[in-house]
Amino acid sequence: MKGYSLKELREAAPFLLPLTIFIVAFILVPVLGTIVDSMYLDVTFLKTRFTGLGNYLWMINNPGFWQSLGFTLLFVLVSVPLEIILGLIFALLLNENTAVRGLLRACVLIPWAIPAAISARTWELIYNYNHGLANFFWTKLGNSTSPINWLGSELGAFTSLVIADAWKTTPFVAIIILAGLSAIPEELYRQAQVDGANLFQRFSKISLPLIRPALIVALIFRTVDALRIFDIVYVLTHGGPGGATTSLSLYGYNYFLIGDFGYGSAVSVVLFFIAFILSITYVKIGRFGEELR
Amino acid sequence: MTEQQIKRLLIVAGSLFMLIFSLAPFFYMIATSLSSNPYFLSAASKLSLTLNNYHAILTTPSLHFLDYLRNSLIVSAVSAVFTILIACLAAYSLTRLKIPGKLFILFFVLAVSMFPQISLISYLFKVMTEVGWVNTYSALILPYIAWTLPLSLWILVSYFNQIPQDLDKAGLIDGCSRWQILRRIILPVAAPGIFSTTLLAFIFAFNEFMFALMLTTDYHARTIPVGIALFQGLHGQTPWGNIMAAATLSTLPLVILTLIFQRRIIQGLTRGALKG
Repeated sequence: MKGYSLKELREAAPFLLPLTIFIVAFILVPVLGTIVDSMYLDVTFLKTRFTGLGNYLWMINNPGFWQSLGFTLLFVLVSVPLEIILGLIFALLLNENTAVRGLLRACVLIPWAIPAAISARTWELIYNYNHGLANFFWTKLGNSTSPINWLGSELGAFTSLVIADAWKTTPFVAIIILAGLSAIPEELYRQAQVDGANLFQRFSKISLPLIRPALIVALIFRTVDALRIFDIVYVLTHGGPGGATTSLSLYGYNYFLIGDFGYGSAVSVVLFFIAFILSITYVKIGRFGEELR
Repeated sequence: MTEQQIKRLLIVAGSLFMLIFSLAPFFYMIATSLSSNPYFLSAASKLSLTLNNYHAILTTPSLHFLDYLRNSLIVSAVSAVFTILIACLAAYSLTRLKIPGKLFILFFVLAVSMFPQISLISYLFKVMTEVGWVNTYSALILPYIAWTLPLSLWILVSYFNQIPQDLDKAGLIDGCSRWQILRRIILPVAAPGIFSTTLLAFIFAFNEFMFALMLTTDYHARTIPVGIALFQGLHGQTPWGNIMAAATLSTLPLVILTLIFQRRIIQGLTRGALKG
């Protein structure tokens, strides 16, 4: 290795060793183990044997898999743009120099800090058909005869999950975009105002291009996170009604639960590669690496 | 209306919406926890305040609320401390020492943080079963350390990068070893950043759900998010009052931390995500 003396490497090794051990032992080895296991017929109480791509073949012929893949992708497609737009609006508001800025920021952060599984319980009550907050407002809005079956209908369950997820994750998006916004010098806006640019022009011509890196970062993190959605689905809809909201994570988990580790692993591997390919693509498109230096 | 007035109107209306959107579920949770009837919104009933729900979860041992909360606090705190120790060592070497492929290491760790948890869980479950650790703190703490390391490393690297290299050089000239420089010079200077990162690692561990769901079986190690998610009533009907009281009490520490350290949390999150 050119330019690196053995002495320097030996000096650095102990500092990096604990990190390496933990990442390898508790993340890399388990992922490899899952990939290997996905090629075995591995069901509790049955003799484990190699099946090659058997689990994958079964998967592509299994409607349950396609339903759950479809839901997961649709969920990403709907919730991520919604969260980015809401997060952008929140960030613009939080960037304003108002007297209560600190308090506003703290309040907006609260949903982010509360564990999703706990807030999902609150959403479960909010969506309660007879007594929940959601239908309380819905019927007050003049729909007194037709409350929404939030968690029991396919569209209702999907909408419920999107809203609950947006509530939990918009703060994160807002914080990331806010960092991009607050780095823009005030001068630029003042100059543009002198030149006669209106509010909207100042936003689209100055703010938007300059927060592009922040938007891409938020997009990557949110997409990967939404793809692996588990907690709120587990608590709020249990994947129902009729499997309509079973995310890939929950789909795989359900197979682990009944002891079919081989098939569950195959599902996990598919999810793993979808997340992997998507994040690589984003990084390439957004030239993420350049922004970071 | 002038542009200035329109802007002000938009800000006030938008901020109000933002506040209500963010806080309404939280207040609904608190209101239900304090209400003698969880369905106080129905036309037939009205809100009457009570502390019975809190009394119930705090004094009924079979509900295990305090066990879950204690488990969560211990597991999150221990894993946060270890994560930060390990991340400090790595961040120091990545910002100060000559190491081949530094950028690759950082991006590799970032990629690791994007792995879906479901792709680790079955293997972890098997190993933990084999060594008999299922339903112990160790079964959670070890994966949590690995799981919170990437983010912590990125944040700390960004903080350490800001500390002038001259401090190290001065230390080396004075005859300090690398360890002494880290302990006596870098750590004290970076203390505020390290504190923010510890806070974030704690919050992340406290939020974790899937590992805890799969690797614990009862109140001996089960954490509060799983405890509350699986909380069922004894008599068939969901005890909303009790659940919301438990939710309120267990989120209170996080909410207080957020309100006090809002600035630090925002700074830490931003550094982890935006700067390298």
